[in-house]
Amino acid sequence: MTKEALAILGILVLLADSPAALARPTIEELKARAVLDDYESNVVFGYNIVMQTNRYARRYAGSGLSCTSCHLKGGTQPDGFPLNVAGVYPKWRAKNGVRNGIGLRIRDCFLYSLNGVMPPEEAAEVQAVAAYINYLSEGEVIGRPPKGWGVPTLPDTGADPNPPRGQAVYKRECAVCHGANGEGSNAVPPVWGINSYNAGAGLSSVQRLAGFIWANMPMGKERSLSHQEALDVAAFINLQHRPFDPREGALKKLAERIYSRVTSSFGKANP
Amino acid sequence: MNLLREALPDFSWWRSVDFQREAVAGFTGALLVIPQAITFAYLAGVAPEYGLYCAVFVGFLASFFGNSPMVGGPNTSVSILLGLTVLPFAGRGSPLYTEFVLALSLMVGLIQLCIWLLRGAELFRYFSPAAIAGIKVGVGVLLITSAVESALGLSPMTTKFFYEKFYIALVAWQDLVNPYAATISGVTIAAGLLLKKRWPRSYIIAAVLIGSLIGGMVYGLLGPVQSQLELLGHVTLQALPLNLPRLGPQHWLFMEQAAPQAIAIAVLGLAQSLVIARDLKANVVRNLDLHKEVFSQGLSNALSPFFSTFAGSGSFNRTSVALEIGARTPLAGIIAAFSVVLIASALGPLLTWLPMPVIAGVMALVGIGMIQGNEIRPLRNRVDGPVFLITALTVIFLSLEVGILVAVAVSVGFFVASVSRVKLSVSRDGDEERIVVTGNLFYASLDRLAKHLHSDPTARTVLDLSRVPYCDAEAQNMIRKIHAERARHGGRLEIAPPA
Repeated sequence: MTKEALAILGILVLLADSPAALARPTIEELKARAVLDDYESNVVFGYNIVMQTNRYARRYAGSGLSCTSCHLKGGTQPDGFPLNVAGVYPKWRAKNGVRNGIGLRIRDCFLYSLNGVMPPEEAAEVQAVAAYINYLSEGEVIGRPPKGWGVPTLPDTGADPNPPRGQAVYKRECAVCHGANGEGSNAVPPVWGINSYNAGAGLSSVQRLAGFIWANMPMGKERSLSHQEALDVAAFINLQHRPFDPREGALKKLAERIYSRVTSSFGKANP
Repeated sequence: MNLLREALPDFSWWRSVDFQREAVAGFTGALLVIPQAITFAYLAGVAPEYGLYCAVFVGFLASFFGNSPMVGGPNTSVSILLGLTVLPFAGRGSPLYTEFVLALSLMVGLIQLCIWLLRGAELFRYFSPAAIAGIKVGVGVLLITSAVESALGLSPMTTKFFYEKFYIALVAWQDLVNPYAATISGVTIAAGLLLKKRWPRSYIIAAVLIGSLIGGMVYGLLGPVQSQLELLGHVTLQALPLNLPRLGPQHWLFMEQAAPQAIAIAVLGLAQSLVIARDLKANVVRNLDLHKEVFSQGLSNALSPFFSTFAGSGSFNRTSVALEIGARTPLAGIIAAFSVVLIASALGPLLTWLPMPVIAGVMALVGIGMIQGNEIRPLRNRVDGPVFLITALTVIFLSLEVGILVAVAVSVGFFVASVSRVKLSVSRDGDEERIVVTGNLFYASLDRLAKHLHSDPTARTVLDLSRVPYCDAEAQNMIRKIHAERARHGGRLEIAPPA
């Protein structure tokens, strides 16, 4: 009797320990379930936001971009801004000069990269994306950056980035999908213009954009560009017109522009 | 047959309608309801679109199937209760939360339809206006309290009693309060209070405009990072947001557990609507059918989740504005519903940049409006005063659901007490005593008369019962017994012949 009980217990322990039982369910499996608990339903909502930000987080989204435009494949692509980063936060960032919890980090993405409205910390959308990030971070070591965190930093090429050469690379490699004017299309994100990320976004740094482009673009031919080509095209893209950095108020910016226009015309009138 | 007549829309008002007046009233109502709808959606914890859809679809259905100029749509107390009920079951604002709000609205509507079938309008006849006034004042305080966080830019907090929030904000204002948010909400509230005398109908719109102007300046000069202002965000309206409410196992479980609150919301919604309807029937529309109003409220709420929105009820302030402008038929409500779609779509891009402190200011203004005015009048009355105070204090210090139950209990209690009060006026005419009884004679109200008649079995008494509207078997038995007793002891008991 006790032997049988022990055997059953042993099987149960084995089952519970086996990788099949431990492996996290995929999003499709979660979606197929009839009942989700609060965490799981939040994860699914977060996944939906990441994949279709304009539809599921319409209230705070701004541009034509979704999270997955930069966090490739729903944040599962190493070297493509993967989202399995829950163990890294809270973390001090030079950008805003404070320790950022995952919530503030997500809100910053809405403000800069999505060029939208900054949601409040307690917004359901922010909480859901945070839950999705936790879900992706399962198995990572807390406090240690995951493998392929962010994008690779390109080594020094010895030459400055050259935008005109970058334009040629863009026409040759990128314009097919992203359009001659960087406008993108339904499935392809716009890379500049009114619908793209704003000048305060992380990708508006040439170094970082170059790393992203080199490691992930053109899709299907990743890492085919040379480091210098990636730098050139990044410099070209970030020289194009895009929404301004929202850290400066729009009115203030306008006033400054008018002021400088007026003072420069005065300067011409009275040499 | 009667039920069918109540359930079908009735257009008999069509012949006597004054289009121009109704249109002006409807359009003004639409302007008024937009800031309120966004605010009440925030109270219910759902996206702002849901509040606007409530103004459009619940407002339209309630007017279309009703027969009064009562304006329906999102309602303060109903929204607060919806939010409070769902909050323990799901994360505020998440898809599951929203589904639960819709499921709860469906349940509320169905309960109201049941109340209609059971002829519940009769019951609300006894709901005392003083209790409703008490609930309104209590909700006003709740509204101001729930505006505090947004108005001062605090993170949401839960406190046991309302004054704790004010205390925390006051004590730790240097660390907690966002001065820009506080300025914007302060300007909105001050503008509203100052302009209220001048434009008693549209002061909220003016306050929203002034607050948004200041908010836009602050946001434009400092930017989102320095000002830390929270904005409303995109509001995208669909023309016909059809939706099939999801009713999975979770939803059924939720509905089972939230049933008591659903009943409270249904009762509160109907109570408010019917108090308005009762007022209208007394003053404006003589042939108003209360049962029909119950049906239209129930139907519009039961259908609300199918149009992606939540339950509402008749609105005191919007109905009174509509009446002042000259609405006399349901057409005003129908025009208001369509105008909301037009105005909100036209405003769409501007609404995105509406600072939340302005919305908090609107909340506070609506709350102040509910507390001010003629609400305090019942205090001077001997019966209404206690009913009013007890309900208001219960709502403020315990909760809105308990407040509703207390309101029902207290109004029934005081009603019974006033019904069972019997006045005896005794006059002597020689050795003959004449008692004029005023009031209902029944088992609960007999004791004083019985005591008086039993005190002297030899007396000669004439009972004048001409002012007794109701006399039950118990009372007749008592009079018969005393008659017999008097006869044995040489006294006499007569009932005065009708004059």
